[in-house]
Amino acid sequence: MLGLFKFLTVVLLGTALGLAATYEVLQRGVAFGAVQAGPWKGLPKSGSLDVDPYTRAKLARSAELPLGSAEGLTFVASRDSSGAVFEPRCDYDVRGSVPSTRYWTLTLTTPKGALIDNLDKRYGFTSAEILRAADGTFDITVARRARPGNWLPLGAPRPFVLMLRLYDTLLDFGTAKADASAMPQIVKGACE
Amino acid sequence: MKIGDRLLSLLLYGVGVVFVAAAVHFISILLMPELAPRDAYARLSALAKPGQMVLLPRALPGREITPFEDPALAQAVCLYDLSNGPLHVHADLEDPGLLTLSFRTRNGSVFYSMTDQAALHGTIEVTIMTQPQLDALEESDEDEDEPLQELRLVAPDIKGFVLVNALAAFPSERADAEARATSVSCSTETIARD
Repeated sequence: MLGLFKFLTVVLLGTALGLAATYEVLQRGVAFGAVQAGPWKGLPKSGSLDVDPYTRAKLARSAELPLGSAEGLTFVASRDSSGAVFEPRCDYDVRGSVPSTRYWTLTLTTPKGALIDNLDKRYGFTSAEILRAADGTFDITVARRARPGNWLPLGAPRPFVLMLRLYDTLLDFGTAKADASAMPQIVKGACE
Repeated sequence: MKIGDRLLSLLLYGVGVVFVAAAVHFISILLMPELAPRDAYARLSALAKPGQMVLLPRALPGREITPFEDPALAQAVCLYDLSNGPLHVHADLEDPGLLTLSFRTRNGSVFYSMTDQAALHGTIEVTIMTQPQLDALEESDEDEDEPLQELRLVAPDIKGFVLVNALAAFPSERADAEARATSVSCSTETIARD
């Protein structure tokens, strides 16, 4: 009797711990094969069947549809170039250039991937519509208050991430190492 | 019982708990794609029927179908169920805007993807089928010398979907992008049985 009780305790405790570990891992988003380029993190294998079981489980649970490998590459930034997590009450400058690609888009979302509502109904920029400097570089300001130039409104102060999508890109992480200098920098500006 | 024995048996139970926990953890991770209740196919089934290309509603705050959508895209989807026959996807490319296609299993994993740059003579012709359907088709191919005019893909699953992305490079181009996305057509092919 005591033996059975101990056996059941082991099984129940083990099951609970195992499920807790799964939940925790999916919440945090453990990802193998992630590529870091400056503040930008990419998961180049998420758009193929070659994806690791953890990423696959996370994608299945969130129903996120990552771009296919031939469609393009997606990068997410939740920190600025100095490594500090985005503060919702601060402005950020996304500046520089983007690796060779046919089009790219920069989108502001919550960490869970929801678009952030704002009065200007602007949720992102495409490479075609931004204003550029004479040398082809750009400067996009993520801020709560209106700015001249490329202004990406932050709406109400809340946690956010930036998504950079390179469509039909020549960049391939199979052969090239991610180069932080080829990606835009994210620099913190004034805070309220 | 000596204190050493008690410690040893406690340690053994501890090892048992860790072993069970590890097994449960790995099994639940591997089963998640099968068990996730609101997977991509389930979400899209509410909007589209198999064998039809349907324009998805524009991604707007609070009205997203899946997380991390790109609001600059116009998206169309065609669900497939290969138990009814192979799915044929066809597109005539008329404007030079960005058009991408991804062929996915029911949980959204991509098994093939392409852009309009991969089109041959301005058209995209793809047929998705199961391995037995491909075998049957290759057997019935009469002229073996004639080059194939289409790309044949074997799907890893019976059910899945084709997602079409068209980029609206400017907000004013949204109608064009939507037209481009829905210009891709899909249809279930009936196989001649004899």
